[in-house]
Amino acid sequence: MILEMKGITKIFGIAKAVDDVTFTVGEAEIHGLLGENGAGKSTLMNILGGALQPNAGEIFIDGEWISEMTIHKSNALGIRFIHQELNLINDLTVFENLFLGQEISTPFGLLDRKQMIARSREVLARIKLDIDPLAMVDSLEPSRKQLVEIAKALLFESRLLIMDEPTTALTNKEVNILFDIMRSLKGHGLSIIFISHKMPELFAICDKYTVLRDGKFIETGFFKEITEQRATNLLVGRSIVDSALMKEDVRGDVVLRVEGLTCKRHFENISFDLRQGEVLAITGLHGDGRGELAEALFGARHVDAGTVTLRGQRLQLHDIRQVMKAGVGMVPRNRKERSIIKDLNILNNLSIAYFITKHNHFFIRRAEEIERFQRNQKVTNIRVTDPEDYITSLSGGNQQKIIVSRWLELDSDIYILDNPTQGIDVGAKFEIYKLINELAARGKSLIIFSSEFPEIYKIADRCLVMYEGHINAELDRDHLTEINIMLYATGSTKEEIGEKVTRDSI
Amino acid sequence: MKKLLATLFNGLFWDKIRLFTSKYSYLISFLGLLAVATIINPMYFSYINLSTLLLQASIKGIITLGMSLLIIAGMIDLSVGSIVALVAGLGVVVLNSTGNVFLTLLFCVVFGSFLGSINGLLVTKGKIAPFIVTLATMSAYRSIIVQLGQGGPFDIRSDIIPSFRLIAAGNVLGIPNLALIFAIITVIVAIIMARTKFGRYVYAVGSNEQAARLTGINVDGIKILCFVITGLLCGVSAFLLMSRLTSITAPNAGSAFELDAIAGVAIGGIAMTGGRGVIAGSFLGALMVQMIEGILIAARIPPFLNGLVKGIIIIFTVFLQRKKNTN
Repeated sequence: MILEMKGITKIFGIAKAVDDVTFTVGEAEIHGLLGENGAGKSTLMNILGGALQPNAGEIFIDGEWISEMTIHKSNALGIRFIHQELNLINDLTVFENLFLGQEISTPFGLLDRKQMIARSREVLARIKLDIDPLAMVDSLEPSRKQLVEIAKALLFESRLLIMDEPTTALTNKEVNILFDIMRSLKGHGLSIIFISHKMPELFAICDKYTVLRDGKFIETGFFKEITEQRATNLLVGRSIVDSALMKEDVRGDVVLRVEGLTCKRHFENISFDLRQGEVLAITGLHGDGRGELAEALFGARHVDAGTVTLRGQRLQLHDIRQVMKAGVGMVPRNRKERSIIKDLNILNNLSIAYFITKHNHFFIRRAEEIERFQRNQKVTNIRVTDPEDYITSLSGGNQQKIIVSRWLELDSDIYILDNPTQGIDVGAKFEIYKLINELAARGKSLIIFSSEFPEIYKIADRCLVMYEGHINAELDRDHLTEINIMLYATGSTKEEIGEKVTRDSI
Repeated sequence: MKKLLATLFNGLFWDKIRLFTSKYSYLISFLGLLAVATIINPMYFSYINLSTLLLQASIKGIITLGMSLLIIAGMIDLSVGSIVALVAGLGVVVLNSTGNVFLTLLFCVVFGSFLGSINGLLVTKGKIAPFIVTLATMSAYRSIIVQLGQGGPFDIRSDIIPSFRLIAAGNVLGIPNLALIFAIITVIVAIIMARTKFGRYVYAVGSNEQAARLTGINVDGIKILCFVITGLLCGVSAFLLMSRLTSITAPNAGSAFELDAIAGVAIGGIAMTGGRGVIAGSFLGALMVQMIEGILIAARIPPFLNGLVKGIIIIFTVFLQRKKNTN
């Protein structure tokens, strides 16, 4: 399919989400769409999918003008949108999900299970997925669910696939499977729009790129003609110093001691120390029990055994407020579900944790809240027009800065950051790294849960690698390499590898 | 002139208007309804009429305030009418046996809070949906008072009536007591919701319970407190109802109060999905429910159709809220 979108403009309220954007995808082409969060990628794709109507602009498919794009029309044209969020229903089987809303019936009006199951088998085999069409979706790993979602798009005649960050939930192996599928689809003449934040992936799979920034078209071209650095600069619009931040040796006293922490079915016998001013990264692969450990350390999950002591005081792990008062703050993962209070304005979202432990007055004073906001705005560099707008009016990066500020207000000794840069743009990521370093320099201790090596390498003094619910390895800066992390995260043990694998030997 | 036209056709100007109207939707519906009422009855917009309106709306209005807390916190209470009946019925017994007005008020407030706390504990510790819990207690509380009264009314002793009924019938400087009490409680609840930590927590729990828990908010505590406050307000309402009616008929007292309270909250612009809305809205919402009744009478629509009209209003306002959110 040849797609041309010309002069597309979409206005939400007073903001131009997409401003006079031109976007072209050729036949049998994998086209990377780049942009920070809030750059207008999703809006543009929703216009293409017919979910949003543009205020101005035209869409041509194979040179033919499409008068008014609707979801129905876009479907009929063979445009399939694979969303970032999973749209599968857990309580139905795989084949029922695949055919949901487009069931095949027998001449008597009953569901033709046989045919649907056979066709599901066919499509799953085509993309080399060994999933039983009769399996419950509930029983699948999240990454497999994502692949089922892709199978769903291929079930019916499709000519253009839109993939919105399809690799977020996938393991490296599955990413490779996905890329194989994409290449084979391309071989059959399909065009694919691939949205991703991950540069190596974009460079590996895409032919062409288009960059959007602040709703405007910036540049289009071939990936083979640019470097990752150049792509990043286009994306951010300013050149950021992306060198590793300076790390110094940490020699502070042990402030936090975790001993034998166990939470059945998730993690077992976790023990480690944390020093003052130290940044400790904890990493691993999906299903390693890392997320549950983060919750348990903050008192948000029931533990079966073990203790956490902060400066000799045992933490009351059954009560989040006690843990907060003792001096532990936590930025949870999944900002949208676990941090953002969407109906409260920016000021209140920032102040809410402060109210819990520090605010001792009966009434809330607006002036104080404004003052608190302005103080944090300087520290975390939040870009906001009106602090009394709903927090959902901000971009992902700025939302996360508000959430980080929420916890900075507590002036805790220990900060647990669970996937703190999830779904935020490169610029905001860098600002958060800077902040982490500043906090450590001020004597705060931080535990960062992350799965991204470049991130860990930038900020961590030490890294624990988890595998199936236990700590498989502890790596200091000298042994902190992507290969080491992958080895231990996939279950290799120190004995097998030996201590040979240092930075120098690779 | 040119400048004026320019501002009028500027998108920004209309966006501001739209923002204003969506923020103060309850004020606009109130003014609209007032206009309708004035067209039907040109004398409607008078001091006497408005203070009567406030008076008539007060007893249910106090409950509407509690209901708004629950709905903002993402819950609901169907048992409010039955709590009123149970508290008022036993309140009459307390008043008749002690003859002490203050003791009776204390009983109503404490017993109402207690009944609310049962709802709250079942919802939080029992982990049962508020709709189911309060549907069950609605039936249970009502049944208890009907049994205690053997189906008949609870009458206040005739020697107490003359002084006791003054509470609801009296006035201060020409303002009816009931209207005054309603206004004062509204202001207190509004301040609590807008200016205290507790208020913020209620909004937070209704907006995103998981995030609220992970910032250290005692979610269960907040929910229980919402039910207790609603129970307490039902107690106050029951006390005022006793004074107004001097006789409580167990099967009927407070019946369909939950409908009026929920309708008031909905028209008052509070999001039925929780997290959004202001107390000023539910105050005007309670008045509007009362006004609609008046308008129906004035327009000679049979009173039997009251329930139909309220039902339509709830669906319609929630529908508008949904449209607003999806846009």
